[in-house]
Amino acid sequence: MNDMRPVTTAVRVDVRNLSFFYGRTQALNNISLPLYDRKVTAFIGPSGCGKSTLLRVMNRIYELYPNQRAEGEVLVDGENILGPKQDLNLLRSKVGMVFQKPTPFPMTIFDNIAFGINLYEKLPRSELSDRVEHALKRAALWDEVKEKLRESGLSLSGGQQQRLCIARTVATMPEVILLDEPASALDPISTAKIEELIDELSNDYTIAIVTHNMQQASRVSDYTAFMFLGELVEFGETEKVFTAPANKRTEEYITGRFG
Amino acid sequence: MVDLALSEQLAGTERITAVRRFGRSDARFRNLTYAAALLVFLIFVGIITSLAAGAWPALKTFGPAFFIRLEWNPVTDQYGALGPIYGTVVTSALAMLVAVPVGIGIAIFLTEICPRSLRRPIGIAIELLAGIPSIIYGIWGLFVFVPFFQRHIEPAIIDLFADVPVLRDLFAGPPYGIGVFAAAMILSIMILPFITAVTRDVFETVPSVLKESAYALGSTTWEVMTHVVLPFSRAGVVGGAMLALGRALGETMAVTFVIGNAHNIQESLLAPGTSISAAIANEFTEAVGTLYTSSLIAIGLTLFVVTFLVLASAQLMLRRLEQRAGGVSA
Repeated sequence: MNDMRPVTTAVRVDVRNLSFFYGRTQALNNISLPLYDRKVTAFIGPSGCGKSTLLRVMNRIYELYPNQRAEGEVLVDGENILGPKQDLNLLRSKVGMVFQKPTPFPMTIFDNIAFGINLYEKLPRSELSDRVEHALKRAALWDEVKEKLRESGLSLSGGQQQRLCIARTVATMPEVILLDEPASALDPISTAKIEELIDELSNDYTIAIVTHNMQQASRVSDYTAFMFLGELVEFGETEKVFTAPANKRTEEYITGRFG
Repeated sequence: MVDLALSEQLAGTERITAVRRFGRSDARFRNLTYAAALLVFLIFVGIITSLAAGAWPALKTFGPAFFIRLEWNPVTDQYGALGPIYGTVVTSALAMLVAVPVGIGIAIFLTEICPRSLRRPIGIAIELLAGIPSIIYGIWGLFVFVPFFQRHIEPAIIDLFADVPVLRDLFAGPPYGIGVFAAAMILSIMILPFITAVTRDVFETVPSVLKESAYALGSTTWEVMTHVVLPFSRAGVVGGAMLALGRALGETMAVTFVIGNAHNIQESLLAPGTSISAAIANEFTEAVGTLYTSSLIAIGLTLFVVTFLVLASAQLMLRRLEQRAGGVSA
């Protein structure tokens, strides 16, 4: 792929002039922004501003539904994933996603993790166990579940379930992890654990997180994008966006005067 | 001017009488629904009792051996239930073997793969298929399906398995057309819409976010269905299959038309046989002796019990599956 701009290895995902439509309703208008390699980028903005929609374009999960359509380009490792030749399974193996509500599969804790691994590799039993253990350790869940790997994933608490889902995503070894309000359904202690986990995972993964919680955005992210009514209002380093926002609306939103 | 205190007092007494009236009518309503529920139980007991009473002469004469006797001879007044039982079980099992995978496959296609514009027409077609009276399946089976089956399908199957040890005997010639296998195929067509309709409804109860997260891991539709959707909706799918099995076991008209009505058991599935409901439907008018009638009622009772056992074991199976999955249920 010939990229005309100076090659910056630091950009892992490059969104260019992206517009998105639900039927005739336009949900995203000409969005351009990068996700930097092994950085956490937070997406903030009032409900309906298009944050989640933007995330759902990055792994093309929106394609499960009819009448949803994206225009523009999203480059992952320099390749436009919106192209018709993009293999969706391959894309989703590179770009993992964790949803707002924990979604453990109706199987054991072990199988929840092994499921993702088995999609791509056929490993001998012992190696599979190692990988499951490793993924659970990465998600800081191992100590809590190592005695009950054979129990149903649904037997865990909400916070544990969400970390199980993160572990499941990590286990498939993606490059990018999309987190769609991963802590909004959780209590403060579970939220703190998820935030710690995000911080820890950002050493190895490029992370995009949608959140309604300003403190969370400022705590966990390196970059912040503020969106409003389908437009990208401001994008920059989190510290700068939160302390000296360039746009008046960003400032108003962050300080809680609207939204 | 209205005396305010007085009107309030009046309102108070009126309200109290109204509340009393509500209480009485509610009690009447409760008793009425109670009686309706009891009626179901009474009918159930009534049917069992009359079946048991009607079957008693046959069961007394032949003893428990009635159920393992093959002989069915109105001339010598000797009756055994094994032939009809065998026919019922084998046709139903074969029908399930074909209809369950196909039905689930259609349901998967309808919920996950089918273009939206085609979903409604196909869905409606399936519901219509479920509404066709069984007598129609019977005449269609006899006049259209069976001749085609006899001419094209059965010879091909016989040839195909000619050299395969066990299957060679199961599918031995000649191709009668009419027989156990043809009945099973008609049955499978009949129960297919039930399985499809129920499983489709059950699949649609799976939260879309659960499917999304499976797709988001990079799963194919096959993996999402087999590992997430089917386990999640297992109870409902088994329930739909059991409903279909219930219909297959008791189906009368369509089976009577094509099964051949022969009270014997042959190794070949292509040979004629009979089923419980087919035997009853065919022979009730000509059953003159007490023992003959009683034997027919006795196999009816058997069908009743078998159906009951099928449903009970389905419940048991489901409960055990749920326990194994750690309390997961749909």
